[in-house]
Amino acid sequence: MEIKSSENESFRLVYKEVFPVVMRVAYHVTYNMDVSEDICQEAFIRFYEKNIDFRSIDEAKYWLIRVTKNLAINVVKRKSRERAMVDKIKKVPKMPIRSGEDALIDSETRTLVREAVEKLPEKLKAVLVLKEYADLNYKQIASILKISESNVKVRVHRARKIMESMLDREDIHVS
Amino acid sequence: MCLDDQILNTYLDGELTEPWRTQVEEHLTYCVACKTRFEQLRSLHITVSGARLDDAEIAPHADKVLQFIEKNYMEKKLKVGFFQRDFRMKTPTLLAVAAAFVFVLVGAFMVNPGVQSQSGELIPRVPSSTEGTLVQVRATEGLAAAQVLENFPLEEILKYLDSRGYEVDLRLKTIVPISDEGETTP
Repeated sequence: MEIKSSENESFRLVYKEVFPVVMRVAYHVTYNMDVSEDICQEAFIRFYEKNIDFRSIDEAKYWLIRVTKNLAINVVKRKSRERAMVDKIKKVPKMPIRSGEDALIDSETRTLVREAVEKLPEKLKAVLVLKEYADLNYKQIASILKISESNVKVRVHRARKIMESMLDREDIHVS
Repeated sequence: MCLDDQILNTYLDGELTEPWRTQVEEHLTYCVACKTRFEQLRSLHITVSGARLDDAEIAPHADKVLQFIEKNYMEKKLKVGFFQRDFRMKTPTLLAVAAAFVFVLVGAFMVNPGVQSQSGELIPRVPSSTEGTLVQVRATEGLAAAQVLENFPLEEILKYLDSRGYEVDLRLKTIVPISDEGETTP
């Protein structure tokens, strides 16, 4: 199905499908809800205003994920520069209380995982976030990041290796 | 030979192609060490992806951003000015409009051919010589002189033009009205 990004109907369709993914990407790169909301808003405004024709909804989705990822990484870079001068007041993300059944991991582990993701080097972080939180395959990640599939494979592996060692250090029972 | 982490991760993500996939599957059935390592990597994957942002946490932000875009972008686009409007029409309609325009334009000239004959009356007629000899026309004497426009008083010309149905607007250009203020100021 062809998507024209400035047509309201197409826009709404893409928005409904893609917003959660894009929000997750922004959040797991920045770990700040307000910043992520701004980033997603900016990405969708660009999407609407550029008036681009996409061959499919997936093409539109990859475009949006790429823009969001770039915006989010820029925010993180800027933030880390600012942090060098001013002590950052860390915004602890609000953790909703989950019912025991559907919770895959407890909130403490979740916080530690998120802190570990935050510490990953930029290139590995981008790949891991797209793999674990945007549910994309290697080919899709490769096309979004404009790198080769084998490069994605290597980065996923490296990112997981670092994640494992960081979570081990935190003495998390990963099993 | 046992499997390394990268192959296991690729297999875990379902990205390993044949024939390696079958080989890995087979290996995992009997190699306890690799099977244990694979399970560790799988639980790491579950733990990491389990830390994802919930749909419930996303929903209010999704609504908020959509409302913002609807209000500031979608609604504004609807208010298009007259000249920005799209005047596209289908070819038969366009041809019909063009034909009607040409018809009206040509018809106007055909119905009203009197423009030239009217202007002819205003130009003073000089009697043409029937014998073919040269006739000198002078403004000061004879019939020609009598018919020169400047021999008529302005009122008569106006009356004549009025009777022919012309509306004449006379204006004096060079005379500047004397202002009262200019007189009183020293």
